[in-house]
This record gives sequence, C-alpha cells and structure tokens, in this order.
Amino acid sequence: MLTAEYWSRAGENAWCPGCGNFGILSALKQALAELQLEPWRVCIVSGIGQAGKLPHYVKCNFLHGLHGRALPTAIGVKLANPGLKVIAVGGDGDMYGEGGGALLHAFRRNPEIACFVHNNGVYGLTKGQASPTSAAGFRTRATPEGTALPGFNPLAAGIAMSGTFVARGFAGDREGLTRLMVLALKHKGFGFIDILQPCVTYNKVNTHKWYQERVFDIGTRQHDPLDIERALERAREWPEADPEGRIPLGLFYSAQRPSYDEQLPVLRQGAPVEARPDPRKVEQAIEEFRQHGRD
Amino acid sequence: MAGIDFGLIVTGQAGQGLQVIAQALAGVFVRSGYHVFVSQDVMSRIRGGHNFTRVRIATKPVGADADRAQMLVALDAKLASLHLSELADDGLVLIDPDDGSRPETGHEIVAVPLRRLAREHGREVMTNSVALGAALALLQHDPEALRRPIQELFAGKGQAVADENLACARAGFDFVCAEGRTCRERIPRIAEDAGRLFLTGAQALGLGAIAAGVRLVAGYPMSPATPIFEFCARNAAEAGIAVELVEDEIAAINMALGAAFAGARAMTCTAGGGFCLMNEGLSLAGMTETPVVIMVGMRPGPATGLATRTAQADLLFCLSAGHGEFPRAVLAPADPEQAFHATIRAFRIAEEFQTPVIVLFDQFMADATRTIGNLQLPIANLQSAERQSLPEGAYRRYEASESGVSPFLRPGTKGQLVYVDSDEHNEEGHITESAEVRVRMVEKRARKAGGIAVMLEPPEVWPGPGRKTMVVGFGSTRGAVLEAVERLRGKGLDVGVLHICDIWPFPIDSVRAALEDSRRVITVENNWSGQVARLLRQEAGITAAGSVRRFDGRQFAVAEVAAGIERLAEGKTG
Repeated sequence: MLTAEYWSRAGENAWCPGCGNFGILSALKQALAELQLEPWRVCIVSGIGQAGKLPHYVKCNFLHGLHGRALPTAIGVKLANPGLKVIAVGGDGDMYGEGGGALLHAFRRNPEIACFVHNNGVYGLTKGQASPTSAAGFRTRATPEGTALPGFNPLAAGIAMSGTFVARGFAGDREGLTRLMVLALKHKGFGFIDILQPCVTYNKVNTHKWYQERVFDIGTRQHDPLDIERALERAREWPEADPEGRIPLGLFYSAQRPSYDEQLPVLRQGAPVEARPDPRKVEQAIEEFRQHGRD
Repeated sequence: MAGIDFGLIVTGQAGQGLQVIAQALAGVFVRSGYHVFVSQDVMSRIRGGHNFTRVRIATKPVGADADRAQMLVALDAKLASLHLSELADDGLVLIDPDDGSRPETGHEIVAVPLRRLAREHGREVMTNSVALGAALALLQHDPEALRRPIQELFAGKGQAVADENLACARAGFDFVCAEGRTCRERIPRIAEDAGRLFLTGAQALGLGAIAAGVRLVAGYPMSPATPIFEFCARNAAEAGIAVELVEDEIAAINMALGAAFAGARAMTCTAGGGFCLMNEGLSLAGMTETPVVIMVGMRPGPATGLATRTAQADLLFCLSAGHGEFPRAVLAPADPEQAFHATIRAFRIAEEFQTPVIVLFDQFMADATRTIGNLQLPIANLQSAERQSLPEGAYRRYEASESGVSPFLRPGTKGQLVYVDSDEHNEEGHITESAEVRVRMVEKRARKAGGIAVMLEPPEVWPGPGRKTMVVGFGSTRGAVLEAVERLRGKGLDVGVLHICDIWPFPIDSVRAALEDSRRVITVENNWSGQVARLLRQEAGITAAGSVRRFDGRQFAVAEVAAGIERLAEGKTG
C-alpha cells in the first residue's frame, strides 16, 4: 500500500509559507495513493510559475517544460506512451493566459490526461501582476488603476467546448479536492479541475477566509453533470456579480464522448514507443513512386 | 541518336488543371525511359491568376529547368505572351482559338479548339485533358501511353471520369494528327522499363521520416511544408505514425518534444514563419536534451512574404534560432535523394546526441518532381537497438560524460524515474541556480557538437578541390549550379563546385581543403544578403569574391547561374 507520504520527494520547497499550493500538493499525493498507482507509471508535465514547480515535490516522472505549453507536451507524452498516467499542471497565467489556446483545443481533443490548474488570480513568480482570472478592478503595480478586463471563466469555457470532465476544487478543501482528483485521474478523457488557491503574498482580495466563507459543494444541491444549461448557470455564479453570491465546487459538467486516445487508429496497433520500423513497409512506400515502362 | 533535352511549359489559371497535364505528360515520358524534371510556379490563390509548370524531358539526368522551352501549352491564350521570351525561336504555342486572344509572335501557333472538344467528348472541365492529348500528338508519341497516367490521376474520381478524360485526350490527339501538325522534335519510347522513381522533394522527406521510424508527426499547415505533413498523414496507418494536425506551431513542436521525451521518434514540419513560433520549443529541446527533427521549408519573407514561392534566406536564422546556446545540426538536402538520406541522418543525430536537428529545404526543392534511380534503405539505422541502458541505482537524466551525452531512459521504465527540466538543472534533473552546476551543464551540452560534426556527410566537391574558381552553394541550387559549371568547363573555364548539404556544425576543415588553392570563391544563393558568403567568412575565414544571388521568389535558371559565374570569374565583383 503506497501512502501519500510515499509520493513525497525530500528536498527544499520554494513556495511561500502558507501558500495554497501546499493543499493542492497534499491532495494530489493523497489521490495518487488512493489510486494505488506506481510512481514510474506516472508522469507530470508542468509549465512555468510557482505551480509549475509542483512535480519537483512529487515522486514520479516529470517534464517541467515551458510557460503555457504543458498541454501539447503532455498530449505528446500520452500519444507516445498511452501506458503512462499523464497529468498536466500549471497556474492561471500558465494555462489561461500563455496557454489559453492550447487549453481550448485540449477540451476539443479530449485526450486521456488530467489537468490541474492552480488558480490564484494573480501572477506570483513575476511578483504580483493581474492574471486572466483577476476580477475587474484588481489593482497591481502593472494595473495601478485596476484591470479593466473581466476575469476569464475557465469552467464556462470548458463547458462550451464540450469538456468531458469540467470541475472546480478549492485548495483549502483537501478532502473534496482529493475526491475530484481521483475522479479526474480515472476519467477516460480530459479531466480538468480549476483549483481555487489563495495567494498569501500577492492576492489580498481572494484570501483563504474569503473563499472559506463562500464555497459550497455542488453535489449537495442535486446537480446533474449531464445538464449543460444548469452547468453553465452554475459556472457563472461568482461573488463579483453578487456580493452575497457563493462559489460552487465539484463536477460541473461531463459531456459524453469518447477520448481522443480511443479514437486514434494508430494506438490500436500498440504504444508508439514500442513500435519498430518495418523495412518492408518502407520499401512498399518507396515502390509507390516507381514508374514502370509497361503495365 | 543525339540526346534529347526538351522543355515544355504549361500555363493557365489556378483551377484549370495544369498539374494534370504536367503530371500525365511526365508520367508518359518517365515510363518511356526519360529523365524528367517538373517545377511549379503557383500563386497563393485557389482560382484564377497565372500559374505555370515547366517540364523538362531529357536522355541524361537533369536537376534544373530547361533553358528554353520548345513547346508552350496555354490553357488561357492571353497568358501565352508571358512565356514567349522563354520559348525557343522554333518552338510552338498551343492555344484554344476560342479564347479570342492570339499571342503576337513569330512563333508557330497550333490552334486546337480545346474547350469545344472537351464539351463534345466529355465536359468542359476536361479541357486540360484535350490539351494533354494534343501535346502528346505534337511530340509524336503513342497515345496509348496516356492510359495509365490518366487512370492513376483520376482513379479516385471513378472509372467514368477517367474514361471521359481519356476520350478528351484522344480527341485532342486526333485533332492534331488530322491537322498534320508536329513539333520539330519527336520524343519516342527509348527504354522498355527504366523503372525509375519519380517523386517530389517533399515526398522524399516524408519517406525519409518513415524510413527512420518516426512515430509522431505534429504540424500546422504552411506552404511549403504542407505536402510533407499530408504525405505522413496518408501513410500514418500503414507506417504506424500518430499524425497530429494541431492548433498552432507552438503546440506542434511541444507535442513532438513530449513524444520524444517519452521515447518515440518525433518530428514537426513547417515554414520559416511557423518555425519562428517554434523557437521557444527549439530552445526547450536544447535545454532538456530532447531529440527532435524539425523540417523547415524556406519561402521568401519577411512575414508572409511570397507564400508559395522559393528562397534560401532562412539559413542564418536556423543556425541561431532559439534563445540561449545549445548544439544543433542543420542539414540542407538538395533533391529527393539527399532529402531521403538527410532525413534519416537527422533522426540518427537527434537520437544519438539528444538534441534538435533541422532539415532545411525550400519550396522549389519540395515541390519539384524528378526522376531518381533508387532509394536504398540504410539497414543499420533501421535495426538500431533500443536506446535504453538500465542504470545501477537511481537514474540521473543528465549524468556527466565525456561526450556530453547522458544515457537516455524512457519514462515508464520499471522502478526508475526520469526528471527533465527547462530550468537549469543538476544531473538528476532538478532545478538549480548553482553557478558551478550551471557551468558544468553548459559545457556538457556544448561538448555534444564535436560528436555531431563527426556524423555529418562532408560537402560535395566537383570535379575536385582547388579549381581556379570555386562555386559554393547549399541545398536546392545544386542541380542548376552543377549544370552551369559543367557548361562553363566545356567552354574551357577552370571552375569547380563545393556544394554543402550538412551545413551545421559548419564543415570548416573540408571547406578550407576544397577552397584553399583557389584564386576565386563565388557563392550562388537564393537570397539578397549572401548568407553562404557570410558563413564562409565567419566560420572558415574565407572571403568570397562575389555572389550570384536571386531573391525574387523564383529558382535559378542554369543559364543565369552560368552567366553570373562567368562574370565574377572574369574578375569583376558583384
């Protein structure tokens, strides 16, 4: 039995004390333990930022790549070796800003990958600028008058793109987040979780207390994740519009369609990493260009 | 029988089916024992405008367009005048009199009612097939020879369509015969079965990737790389390739890197503009030491430039693309044969040295179709062993070594973990900001360049080193340069060729050896600034006396190269 502690990797941690990332890391290790996966069969692909450092603190394979590029890289890993459990990790700047295009297409493609986004509504590693999920009016040194843009709504976007697993978790709700992560990791398709995460250093609005007072489990309100209209309504609930408003957590939407991996004919021949070139097939391909004199 | 060297131009609007005429005629004469070279000149539009194809039919191997055409087939008569300067004095022009336009020229004109015959024997859209039959009659070739190429070209559209096109071609053929018109030259069958391959550079690049065992190809369409991607897609199931059409070039290279990190041979193909978007990924491949092959097709920039045309202006860009310093190889094949072998070599270098390798080509090379003898598979490469060696103890992805290469291990290997980081990292693969580790890692990566250089094919030197004048070029200019130099040597000029395929790491020693006893070095390049000349100066300390340059988006003509070399060889600068 591999415990959550087994998934820890010793070494210095570069996150701020009290950071929401710790709750996410802890839930992830718990989820991996509950699934009884073996570390060598798991691969985390992360982007750049404080969230992108997460794989350094987990005992498994990882590729800590480029800002915004974790998803296409993770898809490449998964296509080459479908036997790996692949997890893409990044922050809100990473997945919703720099990698926003890739995210939309990942929903479309529906690869069998779990995607965990640490969403703290601010750029941390660059020292506190407004991010795509900062609320309108959010003041930073880069936006001294307050950002004029409304925040990006990842859940509504995922639902609109027919995501097959569109969920929201909260770093402060370790049990609920672990449950969602287990489901996302078992999901045959793109298991997406937007994870609300307080930033103790740069986001003084969306604090741990602010979230605690507002979050609730969508599952306690008879939510049906097949109901796209209701899922969109839930995705639009946010305290910005309504000071009394609350923040739903849980699985919002799950479109029923096959994963990309299941549809790709070449994967039915086995894992591409195991395939060996067949000289006869190469010769056949060459022969197609030979022009003989007579029929 | 004197050797045949026949040039033919087919011109018309986009959408009129020029390709059918060119490909079918080429098919006829390849099967009849000739060497054939076909090049495209296509506008970036789907209908209308002015496109043309040059076809050269010869008894000896040819790698460039003919100087002069003996026949001009104009599917739109008003476009004929644009090509008259390229037509030999005794050449003839085939037009449709019903176009209502007759070129003003002293050339012999053959008027065939192409559209009317198409309507009578098939449909108007088959006008091109009528012209095809008429052209074959002018060349006095057996009309039966069209059966097979037409069948192949229209196989996908059903037997009825193929039959109608054949009937139209026959009608064109019979019309010309009835009028008793012929070309000066007759092009009969000269071999029962020469059995040559006839393919484009793009197809050869794709075949090379398949031969190298590529497992994932990710890409976004961009001329001139699209045909490579489509070739891989067509062969995906048979060759066992995951071919991924993705949202942009950024996704393409990162997906290829993900697959390569996982242990599958992976590549992407794009044009210069798409490669700009891939630069960050190229740099990631350098830092993470991930093997990846990137095919970069040159077309004239900057920006969108001339989207469907050719250039050799991205050479220096490819040598320095990507931020930071890391080793790479750049191979610039000249023709289908080199394209096939350079691609296989690219995968081998990428894999052995765990670094990005660029296969640099251009629109002219990718789209030109030509006959070649054969493509031999390098057996050793195909049987290359599993690139894994299980470590004793915990695996360290970036273990120090003399060659700079650390043993590669695939993630998913039982009991082992692979850590790869785009940050500077220690031997294990974890982030570090240590100055000592940084220096060690920079030097480790840099050491790989020495090993890469050993894997490269040396440049081609013809007929030998140290001619009084040496002409230096790379990539697709090879055919025109060799033919021009052969011609000049025939006129008594002491001139030779140094042509480079594997251009980076720059082959300093072999370049110096070939050029050191020469009085005059000239470069021939499809760019404005003389990038090969700059490279010669920068890397080998050799200053070219001048460059023959062309940067209008079109390939060199042999006569133009010969004239340019002759001018510079005489001592003028330019």
